[in-house]
Amino acid sequence: MLDLLAYDFMQRSLLAAAMVGGLCSIIGVFVVLRGLAFVGAGTSHAAFAGVALGYLMGWPPLLLALVFGLATVWITGWVEEKGRMKLDVSIGILYTTTMALGILFIGLMKTYNAEVYGYLFGSVLSVTPEELRIIGALSILVLGLILLFAKELYFIAFDQEMAEASGVPARQIFFLLLTLVALTVVVSLKTVGAILVFAMILIPASTAYQLTHSLRTLTLYSATIGISTSVAGVLISAIWDVPSGPAIVLLATSIFFISLFFSPKRVKRTGAAHAH
Amino acid sequence: MSDPREPIIRFDHASFGFPGLIALSDISLTIYEGEFLGVIGPNGSGKTTLCRAVLGLLAPVQGHLHIFDCACDKLRCYHRAKIGYLPQKGVVDRNFPVTVLETVMMGRYGALGLFKRPGRTDHAIALEALTQVGMEAHKDDALGLLSGGQQQRVFIARALAQQPKVLILDEPTTGLDITAQHNVIELVQHLHDQLKLTVLLITHDINMIRSRVDRLVLLKTKLFAAAPPADVLKPEILHQVYGKELVITENDLVIVEDYHHHH
Repeated sequence: MLDLLAYDFMQRSLLAAAMVGGLCSIIGVFVVLRGLAFVGAGTSHAAFAGVALGYLMGWPPLLLALVFGLATVWITGWVEEKGRMKLDVSIGILYTTTMALGILFIGLMKTYNAEVYGYLFGSVLSVTPEELRIIGALSILVLGLILLFAKELYFIAFDQEMAEASGVPARQIFFLLLTLVALTVVVSLKTVGAILVFAMILIPASTAYQLTHSLRTLTLYSATIGISTSVAGVLISAIWDVPSGPAIVLLATSIFFISLFFSPKRVKRTGAAHAH
Repeated sequence: MSDPREPIIRFDHASFGFPGLIALSDISLTIYEGEFLGVIGPNGSGKTTLCRAVLGLLAPVQGHLHIFDCACDKLRCYHRAKIGYLPQKGVVDRNFPVTVLETVMMGRYGALGLFKRPGRTDHAIALEALTQVGMEAHKDDALGLLSGGQQQRVFIARALAQQPKVLILDEPTTGLDITAQHNVIELVQHLHDQLKLTVLLITHDINMIRSRVDRLVLLKTKLFAAAPPADVLKPEILHQVYGKELVITENDLVIVEDYHHHH
């Protein structure tokens, strides 16, 4: 295993996995608490449609992924704000529409393009130094914004109307959160892929949710779980020669199910049930 | 009305809602500093709309609304942090992983503004607010594991942590058992007396608040009365809003008459 760590590609992929794992799990805290789980799924599929269009037209795929991702979250946020329909319905429609666009764009390509599928399933072991720099820069940007607006983000996740009523610019913070979700998805596309990034956002935060009653601890646990499962997943992938994305996600899922059994919240409820 | 106290909230022929769907129409009402107001009216009468307007969540579609020294005809006024709010129960996810102290600290966020982190002073203010509602011993407990009445106290503490001039409570006793209801109302009265807060208390329980409030505001899309309880709780006034079934008993309780017993 130590031999593996000597390779440049291995160091790069471990670093990329740690950054993406940390980023997804921290934004995931707000996604899970604010009830935006499905928005993550919708955004990643929209971003994939952007990648497909990029390859079709010969434009930068990540840039188009960003445009598609942002358009999806902003439309979703706007629809929720207007109260026209439930969030899960609007995101369901956008999710399938962008997926249809993605399939259409791939269909329009005259030749088979393996790189496009790389964005669907992710390949952390093939991350280039340039991609690593982009991931690093975007991670710093997203984490910096989260740190800067942490107290407002927590407040709107808890109760957006209350936040608004007490003088927090809650609407703007909500759109900032949606924007950060889209950025996170785009950052993670190359490493874990459009399908699995959703799991990277949801699972660490949901696991941490089982283990604590404190917001601060929740974020700390989520980041720890996100980073460690991502790094461990990459190592498993390299050692046993299995795809990295599923290795990370299945590892995280196992920890999630274990956390369900050891959850203090579960113990409390069982205790209360016995009391009656 | 000649009142020596300062008017702090003034509705001037203000209407709220959307064109074609007016929730409150042509409201003219002055609220004075330090007043304890009970806001009553049937379901859908615009009580919550009135509160949302004072909170700056709704701008008047007609007329004007002045809060403190500000003409709040547009939203996003600076005054919001000066108004503490306890929304109707059920808005918040009770399993949300948050401790009591973390919840109360949120009351500081609006007043602090963006980019500023809560410091030692904010911590002290939050603890003081918890002490005022008698929940300081629970500061590190999970909010979701408290009883309904305790949670309401914590949410009142969050409103107090804003160091508000006005406290708005939207049906704070709904869903609480009879002792917890009494305790919450007692606490509100105590805070009003001690902190000289202006209080707007929305409730359906007229009998519980009638002896405590300075004035009752009776709403049903329009303002039917804003006067001391003795002047509002009269059959001819209540019947306009609640219908003829409402009667006032000899010992001044407002109850719904049961026709089966009389016919």
